[in-house]
Parts: sequence; C-alpha cells; structure tokens
Amino acid sequence: MRLWVFLAVAVFSATPAPAADFNPPLERLVSNYIQPAMAEFAASVETLPDAVRDICADNGPEATEAFRSAYAGSLQAFARIQFLRFGPLLEEDRLSRLAFLPDPRGIVQRQIRKIYAQEDPGVGSAESLKDKSVAVQGLPALQLIAFDRDSEVVLGRPGAEKDYTCGYALAIARNLVAIAADLEMTWSDPDGYRALLLSGGPENDRFRTPKEAMEDVFNALVTGLIIVRDQDLLPALGTSAAKAKANRLPFSRSGNSVVYLSGELLGIQEAVASLGLEELTPSDFQWIFNALGFEFDNAQKLLSELNPPLRQTFTGDDSYSRVSVLAITVKSLRDTMALELAGALELAGGFNSLDGD
Amino acid sequence: MKIVSRRGFLAALGSLAAAPVFSGSTLAASPLNRASADGAPLFASAYRKAGGEYGVGIVDELGQMLAQISLPGRGHGIAVARDGSRFVAFARRPGTFAVVVRPFEDAQPELITSDPGRHFYGHGCFSADGRLLYAVENDFAAARGVVGIYDMSGGATRRIGEFETNGIGPHDILLGPDSRTLIVANGGIETHPDKGREKLNLETMAPSVVFMDSHTGDILAQHGLEKDLHQLSLRHMALDAEGRVWVGGQFEGSPDDVPPLIGIFSQDAAPDLTVIPDPVASGLQNYIGSVAANAGGEVIATSAPRGGQTLFWSASSGAYLGTRSIPDGCGIARIDRGSFLVSDGNGALSLVTDPADPAEVLARPPGISWDNHLFNLAKIDAA
Repeated sequence: MRLWVFLAVAVFSATPAPAADFNPPLERLVSNYIQPAMAEFAASVETLPDAVRDICADNGPEATEAFRSAYAGSLQAFARIQFLRFGPLLEEDRLSRLAFLPDPRGIVQRQIRKIYAQEDPGVGSAESLKDKSVAVQGLPALQLIAFDRDSEVVLGRPGAEKDYTCGYALAIARNLVAIAADLEMTWSDPDGYRALLLSGGPENDRFRTPKEAMEDVFNALVTGLIIVRDQDLLPALGTSAAKAKANRLPFSRSGNSVVYLSGELLGIQEAVASLGLEELTPSDFQWIFNALGFEFDNAQKLLSELNPPLRQTFTGDDSYSRVSVLAITVKSLRDTMALELAGALELAGGFNSLDGD
Repeated sequence: MKIVSRRGFLAALGSLAAAPVFSGSTLAASPLNRASADGAPLFASAYRKAGGEYGVGIVDELGQMLAQISLPGRGHGIAVARDGSRFVAFARRPGTFAVVVRPFEDAQPELITSDPGRHFYGHGCFSADGRLLYAVENDFAAARGVVGIYDMSGGATRRIGEFETNGIGPHDILLGPDSRTLIVANGGIETHPDKGREKLNLETMAPSVVFMDSHTGDILAQHGLEKDLHQLSLRHMALDAEGRVWVGGQFEGSPDDVPPLIGIFSQDAAPDLTVIPDPVASGLQNYIGSVAANAGGEVIATSAPRGGQTLFWSASSGAYLGTRSIPDGCGIARIDRGSFLVSDGNGALSLVTDPADPAEVLARPPGISWDNHLFNLAKIDAA
C-alpha cells in the first residue's frame, strides 16, 4: 500500500510542469529593491532634524530651501516604500505613524488644532510623541505645521508659536528618523521578516508555499496602484474640471504632489522590475512586461509635464486633463498587473474575490 | 448627504493610537467602554490581518478602527441585536464557533461552539426583543439545513432547539418586517466536513428562499428559481422599504453564461429578477458578495467583488441606478439614508453617496483585509 502511494506521488509529480519557484524573485525584491529603498529612506529622513534646527535658528532663504529640499527628499523616499505593506512596515503601526493616510476628513488637522489649543507638551520630544495619536506623528503632521496653505514654508517664522512649533517639528523629524532606522534594521535582519518571506513551505506558519509569499507581495504592489488612482488622484479630479480639488492631491500643501506621486509609481515600477518575473512567465505573456514598461513610462512623462505646486496650477493649464489621463494609465497598470500578470503566473488575487462565500 | 461630525468618544479613548488591540488571547476584554449608543453609527466586519490573524474590527463612520476582537478562525457574518447592545460574529462556513460581543460593556466576549453534528454556516439574526439568536447551521450527516435557536436571555447562551430550513446549505438569515417571520436563503450547495468546502451537488442543487414562522418553525412559503437557474446559489439578503427581500446569488453553472444574479422575493409572490445591463453584467464573474439597503430601504446596494463593482438599485422600481468601481469591494453597510460604507480586501473603507460619484476612500488601516461583510451596529427603532 505504502509503495503504491509512493508511486502515485512520483508519477503525479513527474507529469505536470515543475511549479514555479517564487523564492528567487522574492530574494531579488528584498535584496535589490526593499533593502536599498529602506536605506535610502533612512538616509533621507536623517537630514530632517538638522534642517528643522537650522530653519528654526535662522529662517533665511538658504535654510528655508534646505528644509524644503529635506522634506521633499523624505517624501520621495517614503513614497518609494509605503506600498510595501507587509511585515516591518505594518509592525508597531509604523506605516500609520510615518503617514496617516488617507485623511479626507482632516483628522490630522483636527488633532493638531487640539494639541495647539491645549499647548500639549507631549509633542515636544520624539520619546513622548511616539505615544501620541499616530495621526500627529508623521510626514502629514510635519507638512501641516511647517507649510501654509499656499505651499510657503512657515516653520521658523517669528511669532508666538514659533518655539512650540519648532519643538514639535524637531520631535516629528527625530521620530521619523527612529522609525526609518528601525525599518532599515528590521529588513536587514537575516532572521527577521526577510527569513519568513523567503522560507515559504510546510514549516512556515505564515506562508505554506513560496507562491503564497509571492501572492502577498504581488497584492501589495497591486494595492499600491489602487492607492495611487482611487485614493490619491480620483478625489482631486472629482467629477469634472469645475469640481476639481487640487488640495486633495497627496502632499499638495507643501507643493510635493508630483514628487510623491512620481515616487509611488517609480517605486512600484522598480519593485516589479527587481522581481524579474520574466523568467517565470510563459512566452505567450512576455508582452505584459513591455506593456507595463510602456505604461509606467507614460505615467512618469505625464507627471513630468505638470507644473507644481499643483494647488496653483491644477485647473489653470492642461494639468487637469494630464492628471485625468494619468488616472486612466494607472488603472490600466493595475489591470495589467492584477488580471494579466497575476493570471499568467497563476497568482491568486483579492481576498474577497478568492474562494468567496 | 453630510457626514455626521466626529463623536466625542474617540477622544475619550485618548487617541487613535489608543484603539485597544486585543492581541494574544483569543477572546479578551471589551472594547468600547461607552454607556449608551449616541446615534452616530459604528460598523463591524470580520478581517484577516497581514500576519494571518483573524478577528472582528469595529470602526466609526470615518473608517477609524476603534476596537479589534480576535477570533479563533476566519469570521463571516454578524448578527446585530436591534437595541445595538451586542452582536454575534459567526465563523465562516463550515465553522464551529460564534462569538458574542457586548461592545459597550466591560465584558469578555462569549464563545459559543456549535453542537455536535452541526456546523455554523456563516450568518445569524436576533429575535426582535433580542432574547433569541437564530443561527443557520448544517446538519452535515443528513445534508439538511437547520436554524439553531439560542437563548440569549440568561448569563450564558444556550441552544434550545432548531428548525429545518427545508433546503441544503442555508446561508443568510433575516428577521422579517413583521418581527416574527424568519427569512432564510438556502444556498443549495452541499458540503461535508470530510471534504472541506468542496461543493458536492452542483448538478442537482436547488436553492430557495424560505419564509418561516419563528415561533413554530412552520414553512410559510418557499420560492425557488426556474429550472435553468437552479445553479444560482441564493446567498445574501436585505429587506427593502416594502418588506421585500433582495437576494444576491452566485452562479455555479458555466462561466460563459451571464445569468441574472439578483432576485426580489416576497412571501406571497413569485420572485422577480433584476436586469444587470451590459457590459457591467459580463464583468461580474457571476458573483454577488453582499446585499444591503440604505436606511430608508429605498436603495439597494449589491457588491460584486470579483468584478470590483458595487451596483445600486431602486428598491421600488427595480431599476439599475449605476455602479461604482471598488476593487475587491465586498462588505456593504448603510450609513444613513443617503450613503453606504463599502469595505474591501485591500483594507479600504469607502464612502458612496451617489452612484454617479467615485467612491471616496475614508480609511485604509494598514495590513487589514476586510472580509465579506460589513454591518451597521446602530440601534434599530422598533418597527
């Protein structure tokens, strides 16, 4: 009997094409995209505390420009990691603490108003800030206190609240540095999440196969594209140009919408490329990679044609129609990933679409 | 439509970060230490976390997570008592647990396990006075659907009997507008514990909607579908303003067919089927995930997660009002008369106020995949 079972297994496993091994692509993603992107993010936010201190000491043009540049650099680096919604970014609420998004009803603003009204001392140091609401800890909170609604830097301007705001801004900057350093370290830990992700198999409680691990990663990339369109672009586009709301674009207050959107899409593009899925994709479907490259390039081209800050230019020139086309392009990217590429690799899609009830 | 302003009790919890997370123990202390419901809606849904843990999340009307209750396995439907004081979260079918949560009391959730020979089948509902809980169950040895009856009036929940549903694979269950009739969707699909979720009778399945006297178990009416639609598993339901039952189905026949997926049932009349216009219909993969009515029962929302669409209907005319794209959107709950909240597998909670406007993502708690259904926890005024 035992022999028969053994033979049956042997025959069965010999017949179909060998199952794709998703560990090498995942290994490439971690080593060639995630770890460098986390290091880059940590290095970018590390410039923030000094930039805050400098502008608070003297808010002349040089320090103002340096702060603006440090903030934009941090945002761009953040945009390139925020779609990696698995493992370290989810632990300890790191993603929400880095950026409480989406926030269409202005929760960050409301909570910060309250903090100012009470002159809450809890936002004066990174140590106490990390125990406050996640909404007041991250990049959107820093944007709110450092820029005005016309995208001008107000941090360091003389006034009754200057010292309080400078203290709060420095606390946010240091909090960001700490979270980014944790992320870089956690992803570098050979026994950390990296090991879990790369050890899909019967012994692994989370991923019973490498394919399951790939499905988690793949769905995070698709969700990243959904976020760009449904969360970042559509609310700003409204139902017509007359109803457009440029201030609903991500990080529009600091004039960084293009920086952020471009970082999100470039990050996803590079993450997909790092996987090197071409080698696992049947030849009939190799066209998908050309299609993705073409659409990603189109998206960057559309973004490069915009004139930030978009709060000032969104409805004035061709920006609205370019962003409308961008939304269509991102939808197409999502469909190519979620329908075509996932189908070609036989990866399972959405949680509710799969084995529903 | 306007969003009600943010309530004070989030502030009372301290901050967003203070949303209690009951990790560790399977069933832990009560979430929302709040004396009474104050009118602003709360919502609950089962979820899976990125780490693979299952639970039920309670969110406010801005989609902010206020509490999380761990579950021993994947959840599905939630029965909400009309006075809003408690709810029962059921395991996904075939399941052996249900959890009673009293969100405003400082009380441990109560774990109910299914009787030997019975499996919970995903949904349940309360009697109007909240004393009894009706749970759809599978008598798997006999391949027969039953409604388990549970006495919730004492300290611990007790199973006190069962009624037959006159069908296989009962799924959603509602209490009718008369507060006495139970309405059960017999999905028609047979499963057996030895075969997991495998569908054993697709050739012979015969789904139906039954109207049952909750006092006696008598079947007052039973409506099936025409023979060519016998593979449309009738699964999820909502009541409209006229007391009719809107039923969403999942077609088990050929994927090349584009059958109707949504029926309107009532006790005394043959069912009507709605017409989903092309090209929407052919993109839904013959699968409706949830059905919900707005607060007045005039608008019905039906989600189609495989098509990434949520469709809206006029309850009075049966007319199609439009569709909104929500990728992997499945759970739907009424917010008020003019809006729905839709949950999806990518974590988003989206506000839909108009079938012509894009859904607005209110929140996307990182790492959360919302499971099939979303429920409004607000108190329902006695009919």
